Amino acid sequence: MKKTFLINDLVWIGFAFAACYGGLKLGFGSFHQPHAGFMPFLSGLVLGLLALVDLISGLANRWRDEKKDVEVWANINWGKLLLTLALLFIYTALFSTLGFVITTVLLLFFFFRAMEPRPWWVVAISSVTCTGLFYLAFKIGLESQLPSGIFGF
Amino acid sequence: MELLNFLLLGFSVALEPANLFYCFIGVVIGTLVGVLPGLGPVAAMSLLLPATFHTTPVASIIMLSGIYYGAMYGGSTTSILVNIPGEAASVMTCIDGYQMACKGRAGPALGISAFGSFIAGTAGILGLILIAPPLVDFALKFGPPEYFSLMVLGLMILTFLTSASMIRALMMAAFGLVVGTMGLDNISGLARFTFNIPELLDGVGLVPVVMGLFGISEVLLNIELKVKREVFTTKVKGLLPTLEDWGKSIWSIIRGTILGFFLGILPGGGAVIASFVSYAIEKRVSKHPEEFGKGAIEGVAAPESANNSAAQGAFIPLLTLGIPSNVVMAMLLGALIIHGVTPGPLLLSQHPQLFWGVVASMYVGNAMLLALNLPLIGMWVQLLRVPYSILFPIIILFCLLGSYSINNSTTDVAIMLVFGVIGYLMKKLSLEAAPMVLAFVLGPMMETALRQALIKSKGSFSIFFTRPISATCLIIAIALMIMPLLPWFRRRRPGVKLEHEDVT
Repeated sequence: MKKTFLINDLVWIGFAFAACYGGLKLGFGSFHQPHAGFMPFLSGLVLGLLALVDLISGLANRWRDEKKDVEVWANINWGKLLLTLALLFIYTALFSTLGFVITTVLLLFFFFRAMEPRPWWVVAISSVTCTGLFYLAFKIGLESQLPSGIFGF
Repeated sequence: MELLNFLLLGFSVALEPANLFYCFIGVVIGTLVGVLPGLGPVAAMSLLLPATFHTTPVASIIMLSGIYYGAMYGGSTTSILVNIPGEAASVMTCIDGYQMACKGRAGPALGISAFGSFIAGTAGILGLILIAPPLVDFALKFGPPEYFSLMVLGLMILTFLTSASMIRALMMAAFGLVVGTMGLDNISGLARFTFNIPELLDGVGLVPVVMGLFGISEVLLNIELKVKREVFTTKVKGLLPTLEDWGKSIWSIIRGTILGFFLGILPGGGAVIASFVSYAIEKRVSKHPEEFGKGAIEGVAAPESANNSAAQGAFIPLLTLGIPSNVVMAMLLGALIIHGVTPGPLLLSQHPQLFWGVVASMYVGNAMLLALNLPLIGMWVQLLRVPYSILFPIIILFCLLGSYSINNSTTDVAIMLVFGVIGYLMKKLSLEAAPMVLAFVLGPMMETALRQALIKSKGSFSIFFTRPISATCLIIAIALMIMPLLPWFRRRRPGVKLEHEDVT
């Protein structure tokens, strides 16, 4: 059984159902006078029907043409992947509060250190230099409004 | 005579120092992302889109266009020297280009690729000049039904040509349409799927979506790969192809150029498809098809020419109809709208300096690329040696800051990360992001056209079939949808991986 593809289709059917429901709540209107929910409902309906066809054809031929579950999820370094995602979300959450400089130095420090073992002082210098170059490019060069954070820099 | 005057206007715009500078930056970055596997022109354009906010619309489009056709040039370098396509349109170049390099003929392979690209790029621009103005007159006859049907056709062609299952490609297009409805409704002003987040009132931004789907997801995928890149360490020499090489390649270049250009114009077509089709045709017409895959120079010349002329041809639907034919053009559409320019039939008359300036800058850019890609080839080869552990935090940081600086909002960054995860899962499940992005961009336009057409016809769908242009588009679209259901065709369906940028 290739659960991955079964779950995939079920997720899309669920999403399509939500889009249709949302569309109806917004108001479908009529073909003569379509309202705001017209397009979300139609798109959701098409998505749901297609996912259903995919699910039925998959079940009928036992997902013969698909990769096995182990092939889809093979070779994944879950630790690195989840760490990267967690760092990115934490960075986003703290970006405005701590400011660009501090969050970016910390993010780069973690990435440079976690991806390949290097002496910590090399990592520290690389992180600070990179942050400085990005600061120059975005803040000075492109006049982006990068946040200063609670420390004021 | 009028055409000549417009071209002169174009060159006067393109040769302004600021525009020359942006053109140069564009082609350099394009070559860079073309050379570096893992970062394609779409991701690069979305990264740099915020950087163009402070420039004029002309400079912005000149730079973004330069990235696109520059990536077409640069992509061949990694294909030939490392057997890894720098971007999707160079996949076919790997086959014979790398074999030529293995036989000590990396120089002529790189040379014919650069010259072929230059010839095709220049011819493509000529085609653009000749075809775009008459097409504008034709486009003025388009009403909401025609626009809707043409966009349906574009989406159908794109999903038809994907390598994955057509049903799943259509699912992704439908998903894109749903995401495209987020934000204020264009007609009633009602907020849709905004979840009380004020930043979502304008809808989900194109840049966070594209950066997430193409940039972040690619990085997440690369984290798990342990790729050892074997770069040709010997000095690349003899870049100028011999007369014999030219004799073998010239017709391949011509065929690739013509084919690529017309496939580029096709809604849903583009450089990737053009390179695949031209390689297949070249192999079929060759007197020595057995040499293909073993280092045939025609196998390098044809796809490289095709992808460059397709890159120019793809500008036609965008600049004349306002409809992007592929994801890259969708990025350019986004850039034009951000700068307050509405692409479409009136662009040529309302903003002639933009249209002709961009066209003329392509000539200039092509000449710059020839200089960048032949004498400086050694420098690009050195770049291939940058470890991914250094490259990837920098790519991520570009994505984070790029999406933040559009609205100075961390909501956009969060949206980008969410789409990064979605993109990663989509790649794992062989779901293609290109139909999703194109549908996401076309969605609001399609919705407006559909609703206007239905209001006009008092709710009757016959309006789409009683008007010739609309009916033709829809009949072709329906045929494309039905064809994969036919058993004899299913075995022959030409599938192309549209956005896989790092074949490892």
